[in-house]
Amino acid sequence: MGPSLLNENTRIIVIGATGREASQVVRESEDLFPGRIAAGVTPGKGGTTIEPNVPIFNTIKEAKAQDPRINLALIYVPPSSVKDAVLEAIGNGLKTVFVITEHTPIRDAAEIYLAAKNAGVRVVGGTSLGCFVPNVGRIGAIGGKDPSGALAAGGVVVISKSGGLTVTTAEMLKRRGHGVYFAVGIGGDMIAGTTYADLMDELQADPHVTALCMLGEVGGAYEEQAAEAVAAGRFTKPLAAFIGGEFQENQEGVSFGHAGAVVERGKGKASDKKTALAAAGRNVRVARYYHNLVDCIEELGVKPNLPDATGRVVQPKYATI
Amino acid sequence: MNLYEHEAVATIYRKYGISHPRFVVATEPNEEVAAFVRENGGAVVKAMVLVGKRGKAGAVKLVKTEAEAAKAVTDIMNMLVWGEKPVAVMVCEKADIQAEMYCAVTYSTETRSPVITLSMDGGMDVEAIDPSRIINFPVDARPEVEPYQIRDMLVAIGFTRKYGEILRQASLTIASVYKAFWGSEARLLEINPLAVVKVARKDRKTGEMVETLELRALDAVVTLDDDATVAPQKIYGERSAYTRESTRREVDALLIDRDDHRGKAGSYVEPEDMSGDIAMMTFGGGGSAVTIETCYDAGLRPANFTDIGGNPPAEKMYKISRIILSKPGIKGVLVCGGTASNTRIDVTLGEGLVNAIDDLAREGKLDRDLIWVVRRGGPEVEKGLRLLAECFQRNGIKGRIFDSELPITQAPLILRDLLVEHRGYVCGDTAQASV
Repeated sequence: MGPSLLNENTRIIVIGATGREASQVVRESEDLFPGRIAAGVTPGKGGTTIEPNVPIFNTIKEAKAQDPRINLALIYVPPSSVKDAVLEAIGNGLKTVFVITEHTPIRDAAEIYLAAKNAGVRVVGGTSLGCFVPNVGRIGAIGGKDPSGALAAGGVVVISKSGGLTVTTAEMLKRRGHGVYFAVGIGGDMIAGTTYADLMDELQADPHVTALCMLGEVGGAYEEQAAEAVAAGRFTKPLAAFIGGEFQENQEGVSFGHAGAVVERGKGKASDKKTALAAAGRNVRVARYYHNLVDCIEELGVKPNLPDATGRVVQPKYATI
Repeated sequence: MNLYEHEAVATIYRKYGISHPRFVVATEPNEEVAAFVRENGGAVVKAMVLVGKRGKAGAVKLVKTEAEAAKAVTDIMNMLVWGEKPVAVMVCEKADIQAEMYCAVTYSTETRSPVITLSMDGGMDVEAIDPSRIINFPVDARPEVEPYQIRDMLVAIGFTRKYGEILRQASLTIASVYKAFWGSEARLLEINPLAVVKVARKDRKTGEMVETLELRALDAVVTLDDDATVAPQKIYGERSAYTRESTRREVDALLIDRDDHRGKAGSYVEPEDMSGDIAMMTFGGGGSAVTIETCYDAGLRPANFTDIGGNPPAEKMYKISRIILSKPGIKGVLVCGGTASNTRIDVTLGEGLVNAIDDLAREGKLDRDLIWVVRRGGPEVEKGLRLLAECFQRNGIKGRIFDSELPITQAPLILRDLLVEHRGYVCGDTAQASV
């Protein structure tokens, strides 16, 4: 049960597990989904434990010797160590890697992508918020200590470059009656390990998926690649998209750069992405405002699986005007 | 970070052996410039700015005499190049140009790899080059490309039709350009033009002067990776995106995070022209961006931008709240964030923001005509919003407070409608939306 990114066979090892943020995530995640995290790695801290019972090893090799079923690395190391950590995971035969760390040097990101491609490994991130699959588990801090308010089970897949908007979108969908099959933050780094299009074949094939809600941003060509996948018939399910950053196009002094504009001529601007997606297929809606995403999902005929808790007009909690 | 041409030449071209004209850098006419022009029988004087199209702006001048050079240096230093003030001029040796190529190395999201871009039609604005005459060659993410790979590219763009005699040397030069891109952790290294120039050089055997061709970089556009292993600021110093000086509030905000690493509350900037009439307290990168965008789209004019996150303590929120509310000319306040995973709403809004409002009221500095809209979700949101509502009531503040039931981008639209209704707010011409 669950998508390839995170399912009932997933056994997580957290790299950099004893750091402040990572150890908190380990404890909270084990409270929510006990046993999903098999081990942690921090070089020099092997033999210790994160309460209640996650063992820490010096290396992934040591951990795998204890628990050969470990198959996913969750990376929390500082930016300068990310490449080392990902290559260690790939070298030890792990098939999925999430990089939560922000600010990975772009040169390292390009090397990571090449190594992962050659080894057939799925890397998500850098700057990934993680992944949440209701009733199955979560990778990373996504949803915080109590994700129940924001994430409910259903059939919509949320894929977002922005971490914050990943959960915010899942919650907006939930309040209007649409649960999620999973929500994943793929990060906004220029060289992304995993893109929308990289996941589309699986979403098309998986009968649990009823619709895709994608949140894009200005820059790069990943949203255009998603549009190409739709236009090529690789993904035919309902797709609602919001692309941030269009206002920058009208701002003076914002430049989209020299060679960047040439290498990806006609791509990269928010308006380019919106145009490409809108033209890609009949089952695609591009939201003018972020909050129109839910309206797009409804227009596309996606059936809600939960009660609509709010409706279109929301009353304030408090008002002095 | 973008580098000035003289920085890129001095640090990167020299280190990686990329041929470039001899030059001196100056900020005023001086003896060094005069001597340089005398020795070389003239020079090219170029403005050191980060914007492009310097030639069109008249910021590149050909000079023949010392007097002309002195005037060119003074004139350029006193001009604005597309609104930007030159930080210096580069006085360069003139080149005997036979052909102008375009050469760039950058990253492509199509291939998720470095890509070398080459064209025989350099020298003009790159976006003006015929797309069929400019070719992208993706290469593996490795420290070097082999010169033979470059020779294949040069043959493909037609280099050998006229300049086959220097094919090998040219391939070594461009391989060095790639090595420089990788080694300096650039996101972009662009040379336009990379020129085929005629140079006179002493023949090793006969000792006579002979004319030969070589590739020479006549410009440098370099963007370094801000996330590079060695931060660019450590090498080149801090650099603002703006040409204006920082405002007092921007400087004060910078200090908030300096000595305290708990959360981030000090990222505060104002629009370049310091305009705007909506005070913005926004949270998280994606949430902030989408809120700001909706404001512009709704015809609101943000007076500042923030990106608060990581669960900052109440003291930090107190400081940034006072800074945000002290911007002159504001009419409305938008406090807007998504559903926080970690940031405590009772601490950030219920304590930090509330204390700032109470103190401003006590000091007689609170503008009660402001209209507020608040939208926030996250840990302890109920308590946080209740404390804020009580604060609104005791201080006579006009506003509406929502939790995460309200989609985040409806908050700016609600504020816009309230401002229009109660304060006769005149929307910017981008306004189109309704709730």
